[in-house]
Amino acid sequence: MTHVSTGIDVGSGAVKVAVVGTNGEADGTILSQVSLRIRRREIAKVVDEAFDAAVAGAGVREIHYIATTGEGAEFPHATGHFYGMTTHARGALYLAPASRAVLDVGALHTRAVAMDARGRVMDYKMTSQCASGSGQFLENIARYLGVSHDEIGALSQQAARPEKVSSICAVLAETDVINMVSRGITTADILRGVHESMADRMVRLLRSLEFDGAVFVSGGLASDEGLLAALRDALAKKVGGGAPPAVVTHGSAIFAGAIGAALWGAFRYRRLGRGGVAWRSERN
Amino acid sequence: MSCVVGIDLGSTTTKAVILDGRREVLGRGITNSRSNYDLAAAVAKTEAFINARFGLIERQLEARDGTGAVGRLRRAFVMEQLLHQLRHLEQLMVAEVERSAPAALQAPFRAALEEICRRITAEEEARFRQPQVLRSDFFRDAAGSAFMRIAEQLADPAGVSFDRLIGVYDKCIIRVENQPLALDFRDHIGSALGRLDNPPALAEAVEHAVAEDLTPAATVGTGYGRARLPFPKEQIRSEILCHGLGAHAMFPATRTVLDIGGQDTKAIQVDAEGIVTSFQMNDRCAAGCGRYLGYIADEMNLGLHELGPLAEQSKRTVKINSTCTVFAGAELRERLSLGEKREDILAGLHRAIVIRAMSLLARSGGVSDEFTFTGGVAKNQAAVKAIRDLVRENYGARTLNISPDSIYTGALGAALFAGRMAA
Repeated sequence: MTHVSTGIDVGSGAVKVAVVGTNGEADGTILSQVSLRIRRREIAKVVDEAFDAAVAGAGVREIHYIATTGEGAEFPHATGHFYGMTTHARGALYLAPASRAVLDVGALHTRAVAMDARGRVMDYKMTSQCASGSGQFLENIARYLGVSHDEIGALSQQAARPEKVSSICAVLAETDVINMVSRGITTADILRGVHESMADRMVRLLRSLEFDGAVFVSGGLASDEGLLAALRDALAKKVGGGAPPAVVTHGSAIFAGAIGAALWGAFRYRRLGRGGVAWRSERN
Repeated sequence: MSCVVGIDLGSTTTKAVILDGRREVLGRGITNSRSNYDLAAAVAKTEAFINARFGLIERQLEARDGTGAVGRLRRAFVMEQLLHQLRHLEQLMVAEVERSAPAALQAPFRAALEEICRRITAEEEARFRQPQVLRSDFFRDAAGSAFMRIAEQLADPAGVSFDRLIGVYDKCIIRVENQPLALDFRDHIGSALGRLDNPPALAEAVEHAVAEDLTPAATVGTGYGRARLPFPKEQIRSEILCHGLGAHAMFPATRTVLDIGGQDTKAIQVDAEGIVTSFQMNDRCAAGCGRYLGYIADEMNLGLHELGPLAEQSKRTVKINSTCTVFAGAELRERLSLGEKREDILAGLHRAIVIRAMSLLARSGGVSDEFTFTGGVAKNQAAVKAIRDLVRENYGARTLNISPDSIYTGALGAALFAGRMAA
């Protein structure tokens, strides 16, 4: 292994760090990945903590390139910054080579990116400036229902009669949920309803892009099976004529941006050919 | 005595107003809203009737009561109500522990709960003997904060932990709130009098107040939860009509009303009779509602009442770019990490919520003289200042009315409608 690069993806809900080892022009190997929720803490501190944990996990003593992406707070050792669209495209291709679009579902924003086989961004779209239908919105609703994050997906798939919750505010949702509960609507039906309205928004984003291949779901909500199921159903319904695009994801999908940043960082490091080290362990 | 009742079932609090035959306010009552809407309405109404009967006692004693005995009686009564609810809460918590706690923890758990409730009772009785300090009289707030504080002292991390104590409290407080309890005037006035050693003049006035027949001739409901009130349709009025009429009754020259409540904001234009001529309402987005400031307070780990005073210290208002409440919360964190001052950001957030309200006002027909501001946010001085500034910039000089009883505006309007039905 010749070079070690690190990607730091600062989102609005969590900080993700991936350490990647690359060997010449070949794609790299993920040495470690760490995700930390911000939870009202100071972002710079969370970044430090995640970086230290990722470096310790990778067991490396030197890092040649440190790339930030996302809402990237200044990281003192950073060598460069890449736009979220390009890093997610690159990370998605690394994790699922057949993908030609990325749907990044984060805490506050959802964005869709279309790309070519080399990871070049062809087009992108983002949701409006409102948290309705965002990851935070789903998390708030789950909290009001007393459901933990990892139970959401399974529960949603048990729904019998989904209750649509279109266009409700993420903050006022608490009252709407209390109303639904007092009307006797089940937790499963409420969650599936939320998933369906989120999926509708995602399909609208995807339809505004041109791409030919699979859709890769990245971000914190990629592990929500209920959301993926609703997205597949919505795509099957909305796209008339021809088979709908496949929806794929990966166990490391939440790290797509961080991995992409690390890979672009390694690429730039080789291109520049200047050598050097961005960070070195202080311990002997 | 003939009377009429108006009830405003809001998303955060439920209010009731009782008017006498001359349409003067006889009593006001308020309670926190809860999932059992009928009960929230019943509790607010009971509180208003209690308040009305205390009013009757005051009227009778006006000339003779130089010692503030009615005030002390009121406080004794409120304490008796609280202790009654506390005993009920304790029973529920003990039953919950017997049902769900591990066998080894049963005895220490019950002992801890009994001790907490004993100490709260002792604190309340000591409080009664001290000069009055303002606090929320909602059982949930008064008992809740004392419970947390004492639970923290008594908790044993290895056994009956703080989490366990709070867990059983959280479960049972909701049940206490959603069960009808005996909290009426007759239920507790006797023991309240006993706390004051039954002074004869007061006892006589109480007897008169108890004997007074206060059966409402009509009741009208309004507010967010009005569709769920146990009234026939003709006894329900929209919140817009009630707010318009209520604001007109408080300030007869009112032509524009702005109500910023917990979960909605209303801009209303009324004519010389208090009849609504046009309105705009936002109940779909938290930006521009009181909840916006509540969310920001949570994000900053501050109490809602601390926001206004902090924002007032600002010398340089920061411009907030986000509209959405959740996005503004993220922007707040970002700006704090960039080193901007808390008070400057807060001033910007107050201005942002008021700007949303201004656009609602503009769409409803502008701001005419006089302008009345109601709702929970009208208590926040930083928001009031922002409103004052923006109204002057956009519409010129306007008289701004804010009543200390502005939270009852909707209920007052409903009661006035009830008065028309009874007439």
